[in-house]
Amino acid sequence: MKHYLDLIKISAKQHRKENRMTRLCIALAVFLVTVIFGMADMEMRSQMIQSVKSYGNWHAAFVLDEEQGALLRARPEVKNSARYGVLNYYLKDGYQIQGVETAVCGFDKELLEMFPDVEILEGTFPENAGEAVLNESAKTRFGVQTGDTVEMTIPQGETRQYRVTGIAREMALMAEHDAFGMFLNTEGYSALRPEETGAAREEIYYVQFQPWCNIQKAIAEIGAQFGLQPEEMRQNVQVLALMFQSRDSYMMKFYYTAAVLALLVMIAGVLMITASMNSNIARRTEFFGMLRCLGATGRQVTRFVRREALGWCRTAIPAGVGAGILVVWVLCGILRFLSPGLFDGLPVFGISFPGTAAGIIVGFLTVLMAARAPAKRASRVSPLTAVSGNGGTVQEAKHAANTRFFKVDTALGIHHASGSRKNFWLVTGSFGFSIILFLSFSTAIDFMHHAITPLRPSAPDIYIYKEDNSNQIPSGLDEELEHAPGVKRAFGRSYGQITTADGRLLELISYEGHQFQWAEKSLTEGSLEDAVSGKGVLSVFREKDTLRTGSSILVSVDGKEQELFVAGVLGDVPFTHGTAGNAENTAGMVICSEELFQKLIGESDYVVLDIQLEQNADDAQVQEIRRTCEQECKSGFAYSDKRIGNQEVKGASYSMSVFLYGFLGVIALISFFNIVNCIAMGVSARMREYGAMRAIGMSVRQVIRMTAGEALTYMFFGMAVGCAAGLPLNRMLFTALVTSRWGEAWSIPGWEILVISVIMIGSVCAAVAGPAAQIRKMTVVDTIGV
Amino acid sequence: MEILKVENLSRTYGSGEARVEALKQASFSMQRGEFGAVVGVSGSGKSTLLNCIGGLDKADAGNVFINGQDVFAMDENERTIFRRQNIGFIFQSFHLIPELNVEQNIIFPLLLDYRKPDQNRVDEILQVLGLENRRKHLPGQLSGGQQQRVAIGRALVTRPALVLADEPTGNLDSQSSQDVMDLLCRAARHYQQTVLMITHNMDLTAAADRVFRVSDGRLKELGGASE
Repeated sequence: MKHYLDLIKISAKQHRKENRMTRLCIALAVFLVTVIFGMADMEMRSQMIQSVKSYGNWHAAFVLDEEQGALLRARPEVKNSARYGVLNYYLKDGYQIQGVETAVCGFDKELLEMFPDVEILEGTFPENAGEAVLNESAKTRFGVQTGDTVEMTIPQGETRQYRVTGIAREMALMAEHDAFGMFLNTEGYSALRPEETGAAREEIYYVQFQPWCNIQKAIAEIGAQFGLQPEEMRQNVQVLALMFQSRDSYMMKFYYTAAVLALLVMIAGVLMITASMNSNIARRTEFFGMLRCLGATGRQVTRFVRREALGWCRTAIPAGVGAGILVVWVLCGILRFLSPGLFDGLPVFGISFPGTAAGIIVGFLTVLMAARAPAKRASRVSPLTAVSGNGGTVQEAKHAANTRFFKVDTALGIHHASGSRKNFWLVTGSFGFSIILFLSFSTAIDFMHHAITPLRPSAPDIYIYKEDNSNQIPSGLDEELEHAPGVKRAFGRSYGQITTADGRLLELISYEGHQFQWAEKSLTEGSLEDAVSGKGVLSVFREKDTLRTGSSILVSVDGKEQELFVAGVLGDVPFTHGTAGNAENTAGMVICSEELFQKLIGESDYVVLDIQLEQNADDAQVQEIRRTCEQECKSGFAYSDKRIGNQEVKGASYSMSVFLYGFLGVIALISFFNIVNCIAMGVSARMREYGAMRAIGMSVRQVIRMTAGEALTYMFFGMAVGCAAGLPLNRMLFTALVTSRWGEAWSIPGWEILVISVIMIGSVCAAVAGPAAQIRKMTVVDTIGV
Repeated sequence: MEILKVENLSRTYGSGEARVEALKQASFSMQRGEFGAVVGVSGSGKSTLLNCIGGLDKADAGNVFINGQDVFAMDENERTIFRRQNIGFIFQSFHLIPELNVEQNIIFPLLLDYRKPDQNRVDEILQVLGLENRRKHLPGQLSGGQQQRVAIGRALVTRPALVLADEPTGNLDSQSSQDVMDLLCRAARHYQQTVLMITHNMDLTAAADRVFRVSDGRLKELGGASE
């Protein structure tokens, strides 16, 4: 021993167990921060993979002419740009291959890098104006192979020959719109475009900006430079949002929520470490008194405590970070296992630098900050404390325990918890924070349930619809399709508009049994019964002017006025209802039974027919379903295959579920360990006192009851604090994430409170069971040193 | 009436070269109201003897009978309850409960039995101890002598047959030590309680009826203090 600080190592050997608990606490806090930030990082990465697949990895797009395009390319913040044009986007302009309307896209080869979903499966990108790439469905329908020549008829009646140089993968959007696509290079596209006269024409420059560029500022500058109108500029909102570059108001709310949650996680970490260190120092008052007695100055004691704390960090921080990384790996592995095709880009053994950095920084800074107060306290310990004989291992009480209302063992337990106000609030705070974290993160689950539509049982795999919104899909087709191989369920909806007494339009949608059943989850007020039986209707939530339950709508049917009773309000509907739902000149949208619809509109056929497929349904069965639809509906209907799109969103939902439930799991785990560790530390600190009580005649059972009293006091107040602060926070986040968008009113999260309460109670039982075994084994003589 | 009977009590710690025979076949007995003192140098085995008698430690061989009951024949829980009802402990470093005030500390053994304390008895003890004005004080607000008096009150409150005191004056000044000795004598003489006290200080054995010496684990009765 050459230096007084060498005593740290010697002391550490003597207090191995107590120090292990403190180290465990630091490791847990670091683990919590690392895992939450690491998971958030991985979730961002997986969402980015999804978004890039679905929307491309371009940042902004501008409608420009060639000259402007050249100027755009010359801008320093532009990393990459590609020109893109499309003809016959709406498949109505007369660009046809073998009589089938075909969308023609012309773009620079660089665009392929910006849209990874546009993948050339076989062959190559067109090199000259006479070459083209076709999509998979065109290949299937026309039987075209690479190297063949296809003939395209253009609106002017001429024909053009193209040599097929490759086949591109089917894209979700094309499958959904049942479109055939032909890709040309810009030369071929320009050659085709001059002849085009009345067809829709668009020429867009897709741009990727340099890393670290302020994208919003760059977009604004480009808009100003070329005098572009807002509708001539587009942003890839999803991708920009994931790059923290979006200023979309909803995304801003999202960022704000994420910031609140990140702050909560940090505070939880800080509280855990501070509580543990406070307790560690408090129980060694006598030891520090002895140091002072032997001549150590206050500053030397402070240095001792700080150096000791940093020593704990040396092992605890790597352990916490390592465990956090391991959990993130497991979750990434789960994700890749659940959805292998979609998450190939997600690294299983990837290191999250933000997560690791957050864990290390929070660990070090918190330990240093947390060490300040106990170090100061330790430095102030009077040398007399060490020699007074009563300089015990526990803090001196400020007031007596209340033995009037409780039995003495319980009363002492309560007093042990509440005796030191600072310690009480630190431990209660760290317990309460578990609840606050749980309640806050649970709002993200509510958000996920609303945001990810394919998770709904009503999501169709295929649907057919009348583009002119006429009810002409035969109402018997759903039953016929339900018997077709590969079909699990088929159900239709009718659409109509009626005029209200005040002259506004009311949109009317019919539901059958299945849809009413599924709608129950979206019901924010009222009941379904009257709507199912045809006595009333369900109104669909609008941001402004929602028709409330119990109100009536006076409508005009065949010149006669009729009252529609609103039986309930649906927060949302599983289909897009456009802007009409919120327009001021409409009275809104209501859902009614098929019988009531027929009574009001006089039609029983459908405008939309949704088809859900069996899990093992194959392409041949899907083609058969299509043929049946074509036969039954004759013409004028659109066919949409959402399987690829559903798969993509399902992947997003998987990743969100894995990470969000992962968050909750980690929070629950941390709560468990934190409670167990806190109680164990408390017991360990009071072991000598317990020994004295045992000597006087306190039974083991009474000591355990005392420990349980202490743990339950922390739990009770922790839950009270957690609910008091967590519920308003839950409400605030729920309102920002869910109510503002889907209208669902906040309600007390009963299930979440129940789950976290069960976790807390379970943790307290486990927390008492550990020390109970220790108390049973305790030898009075050794403990009190008589 | 025989209150304490110790028969061939032996206690060994460690094994092999580290083996220490702390107590070797100690035997003696004490009658009601007797005040015994055990003297010996540090490490002689005095505390081991007291701990074994009080049931805090288990002996390797021999028996201890208190009020005719074999202490080692009881299981841990029975022994604990027996201890709080029949033995009063006084420690050198007091071991008061810091969260309980003077009165609560004194009645603590009764509270552990979930018994309602007799307020007259408590008042009497407080008066005898000279702590009536300190009954609501916490241990941290008392001097060492006062704390030891509280510990004595706690040891006497259940009217135990046997009071075991392990160097009760070890941490006290001479005046406080004298007060403590007076109280222990009073317990023996006035309340007819058997008191066995360990001490380093031969002067304190003057008040004892019988004096024992422990040397290298062997107990030897030196006779009465007057002898």
